[in-house]
Amino acid sequence: MTTPLFEAKNLQKYFPVKGGILNRTQAQVKAVDDVSFAINPGETLSIVGESGCGKSTTGRAILRLDDPTDGEILFEGQNLMELSKSDLRQKRKEMQIIFQDPYASLNPRQKVKQILDEAMAIQGVVPKAKRPERIRELMEVVGLRPEQAERYPFQFSGGQRQRIGIARALSVDPKLIVCDEAVSALDVSTQAQVLNLLKKLQKDLDLTYLFISHDLGVVRHISDRVIVMYLGKIVEIADKRDLFDSPRHPYTRALLSAIPIPDPSKTRERIVLQGDVPSPMNPPSGCRFHTRCPFATDICKAEEPELRSTTFMNETHKAACHHIEKIAETEKTSIV
Amino acid sequence: MASNEQTPVLEVKGLQTSFFTPDGEVKAVDGVDFSVNSNETLGIVGESGSGKSITSLSVMRLIQHPGKIVGGTIELSGEDLLKKSKQQFAKYRGNRLSMIFQEPMTSLNPVFTVGSQIAEAVRIHKKLDKKAAWQEAVNMLKLVGIPAPEDRAKRYPHELSGGMRQRVMIAIALSCDPELLIADEPTTALDVTIQAQILELIKELQEKSGMAVLMITHDLGVIAETADKVVVMYAGEVVEQADVKTLFKRPLHPYTQGLMNAIPRHDIDLDELEMIPGTVPTPQNMPSGCRFAERCPYARDLCVEKHPELATPSNNVDEGITTGQTRCWIYTDEWDGPNPTKGVATNQ
Amino acid sequence: MHIFILRRLLQLIPVLFGVTLVAFLIIQLVPGDVAQVMAGEAASEAQLEQMRENLGLNDPLVVQYGRFLGDLIMFDLGESVRTGQPVMDIIAPRFIITVELALWGMVVAVSVGLFFGILSATYRNTIRDYGTMTLAVVGLSMPNFWLGLLLIYWFSIQLGVLPTSGWGTWQQVIMPAITMGTAGAAVIARMTRSSMLEVIDQDYVRTARAKGVSERFVVYKHAFRNALIPVVTVIGLQFGYFLSGAVLTENVFAINGLGRLVVDAISQRDFPVVQGAVIVLAITFVFVNFLVDIAYRVLNKRIDLN
Ligand SMILES: Nc1ncnc2c1ncn2[C@@H]1O[C@H](COP(=O)(O)OP(=O)(O)OP(=O)(O)O)[C@@H](O)[C@H]1O
Ligand SMILES: Nc1ncnc2c1ncn2[C@@H]1O[C@H](COP(=O)(O)OP(=O)(O)OP(=O)(O)O)[C@@H](O)[C@H]1O
Ligand code: SF4
Ligand code: SF4
Ligand SMILES: [Mg+2]
Ligand SMILES: [Mg+2]
Repeated sequence: MTTPLFEAKNLQKYFPVKGGILNRTQAQVKAVDDVSFAINPGETLSIVGESGCGKSTTGRAILRLDDPTDGEILFEGQNLMELSKSDLRQKRKEMQIIFQDPYASLNPRQKVKQILDEAMAIQGVVPKAKRPERIRELMEVVGLRPEQAERYPFQFSGGQRQRIGIARALSVDPKLIVCDEAVSALDVSTQAQVLNLLKKLQKDLDLTYLFISHDLGVVRHISDRVIVMYLGKIVEIADKRDLFDSPRHPYTRALLSAIPIPDPSKTRERIVLQGDVPSPMNPPSGCRFHTRCPFATDICKAEEPELRSTTFMNETHKAACHHIEKIAETEKTSIV
Repeated sequence: MASNEQTPVLEVKGLQTSFFTPDGEVKAVDGVDFSVNSNETLGIVGESGSGKSITSLSVMRLIQHPGKIVGGTIELSGEDLLKKSKQQFAKYRGNRLSMIFQEPMTSLNPVFTVGSQIAEAVRIHKKLDKKAAWQEAVNMLKLVGIPAPEDRAKRYPHELSGGMRQRVMIAIALSCDPELLIADEPTTALDVTIQAQILELIKELQEKSGMAVLMITHDLGVIAETADKVVVMYAGEVVEQADVKTLFKRPLHPYTQGLMNAIPRHDIDLDELEMIPGTVPTPQNMPSGCRFAERCPYARDLCVEKHPELATPSNNVDEGITTGQTRCWIYTDEWDGPNPTKGVATNQ
Repeated sequence: MHIFILRRLLQLIPVLFGVTLVAFLIIQLVPGDVAQVMAGEAASEAQLEQMRENLGLNDPLVVQYGRFLGDLIMFDLGESVRTGQPVMDIIAPRFIITVELALWGMVVAVSVGLFFGILSATYRNTIRDYGTMTLAVVGLSMPNFWLGLLLIYWFSIQLGVLPTSGWGTWQQVIMPAITMGTAGAAVIARMTRSSMLEVIDQDYVRTARAKGVSERFVVYKHAFRNALIPVVTVIGLQFGYFLSGAVLTENVFAINGLGRLVVDAISQRDFPVVQGAVIVLAITFVFVNFLVDIAYRVLNKRIDLN
């Protein structure tokens, strides 16, 4: 077993909801609730799930952009929760984040070279004299022409702006990059360019990614392992192949079956889930998915299922469901 | 089923819509043709800015200043819509043809209850009294699968989820049994599980009423699952048109091929995604030849010099193969030499 | 909603405290000896002592403030040092006149402002729009009293159709209301225009058109209801300005409102009256704001989200 680069243990992030006459905290949004996972060096771990399930909150919490309510976050064995603000700033250069909207995260009044220069200056990783050279290099790495560094962000297309975001993240030589919906706003043709770039950079620079996305096609393409979240909890975690070829959790199965396939000759049985995702303010008891799960029984309402593996699953493959075995049975009989 | 002589529900010919901006004329839609029959779904795909929304807004005559329809005809069951006066056309909107939009979160008026927003459409077109219209609104909510419709009708939009709001939009659009429903990216803002619900709902309602549907999306998956015929748009033009099976089996235009190979799929593994290099040309520097030439791996001088027409292939397709129409020199007699796209496998 | 109103009411308490404290300090902060200032140079030491005694100026500040608040709760604002009448009795009739004047001004400001605001937004970038907005600038930059004098010159002196002064009959109301309302109308028109322009491009307005709603209803029902939300705030603020700014109009048209009373009281150094007027105006102002908040909330259902 490799030692993980990063580990989250029992991570929790609650947001207070204020209200009432005195504007006191009335309830908590349990955005991320008791989430644990590890990321190995050089791999891409993805988090998928529907809007509001806590993907971004997880990404922000592990970088301490928002302080977690509870839990441990270990980077190369060191607990980030115990670091002072200044030590944390030092650590930040090892962990970068790329956002969905490249435009919103780039200062429109700065030239690209100033944006990159500033990122390096803040972290103090590259001496001033060396920075112009480094900027040229970075531009080439992300597939832009070095002279384009003289331009402003609005003079680029969406895909190019995302490349600038990537260049900025790379400028401080990070080990881990959190990509929060980094390609979601792009058209397919541009999205393919950026995805291929991310893959290439990972190989060349030995990067580790935590890749947050709601697009399972993108996730299959880029990841080694995948986490599926629902209402602030991990419901399934597995190697990519296992997850896509033999999903175990009913939610994962529904999610996969809901994605339209660009091939009209393929007809599939679709599981259409009823109803909406419940509010994270008071999530359902027991298994949080029981209100929409076609397999739910009494135990699902009463007891929260643990993430676990069974005999016919790889040991790295875990799902949080009481009825993994039973569901696998019904599948066999229905196929016959 | 639909015979060839049937008048299409919607027939668009040579549609041109431009925006007159301080920087000059932006030809957002530049000569677009297509038609839809009843009970049929026509899909329009294309990347951001290719002119999909402007096409559909033109059909609804909802183009706002400084935009203007500058050419072409739009016929609804044989009637020329562009010849109608504003008042006459307002009677058709929401009645004979209606539209749902991409943004369910902002498409409903925040200060009125959803019930009253449905009832309003019913009252305008069906001339019902207040009470009957409200009842009809509740019925519509039930029809689109909203639980506890009596109660939900009294809610304000912000009290409903995105999926629910899109259902309400569908209820508004379908409240007067339109002949044509235009759905502009109806599920892009929604989660996949909710998307599945909404697409299913539209299909179901279409089966009941026999309406024609114009399904606009950038997602080839949605197209494959919902459309009967497909129009592919690029830079304000139709570059390919075919029935859905043909299109996916044998995409002709290099752009369509590139698009299909660029989609990361959740059902199969791909080592590397094919990329279409570069970006869509801006209206300010629209090429005079083939608009895809800058990005096309097969471009020749001919492509840069002359603008290709949308036509049925006369060259470089095997005998006996059904194809649609495409706008590419490769498939014309002016292209000497073999088809360079041959053997370019798509994912299928 | 009830919770919201309650919370808003609770928030009023510290504001009202602040207002009363400031009003209380008016007397304390008069430079020099207040009694001397009020009584005038010629007053004898005995008279001064008498005055201090009457006003309670010999007690410690805290005691004075406590007494002041206690009286206030009983609607007792003290007595005028000039006439000896209770301040409340002096202020009440004048205050009603000023409120009437402000309300009529509001009627002009709101109706004219909304009308031209909507007109100019629906005909954006046309002659009508430019014309209206130019008028608005003129209306804003023209001083109140000057407009009042112009009106008197035209309608009273040249045409002789309206009386130059006084308050009560409808003829007497017209010119002061226009004088008061013009600047407000300009502000409201500009606010309405920009708010309408913002709203008119919203997706839900497009939805209304797509439903087949006629253009008139699109504008007046769907767009206007939403555009009104920020306008309400401006209207509330305007009303506050009208109350405090009525003095000029009152002087031009010789209306015996609160403004004139205050001016007179200041020149006569009748501080209890000044103090009373300040308190009444300030409380009205706070209360109007409270109403605006509630109206805003009723109009804007989305705030319920918290
Ligand atoms: N600052 C905040 N205050 C209160 N609640 C918040 C805050 N940020 C997030 N939330 C709530 O936490 C939950 C998780 O949000 P998060 O942004 O992590 O979702 P996500 O999975 O990234 O969704 P999306 O796909 O829409 O980006 C949501 O219910 C959200 O409303
Ligand atoms: N108000 C406007 N002024 C100028 N140009 C405009 C205006 N509205 C749209 N356009 C132009 O029209 C073109 C087509 O836009 P349209 O909204 O139809 O694209 P689309 O295919 O719907 O894209 P998306 O997938 O992003 O919705 C774009 O290039 C855009 O720049
Ligand atoms: S635990 Fe029960 S409710 Fe939850 S996913 Fe499994 S079967 Fe469904
Ligand atoms: S016409 Fe030429 S440039 Fe255009 S798509 Fe065909 S081959 Fe490519
Ligand atoms: Mg997110
Ligand atoms: Mg669009």
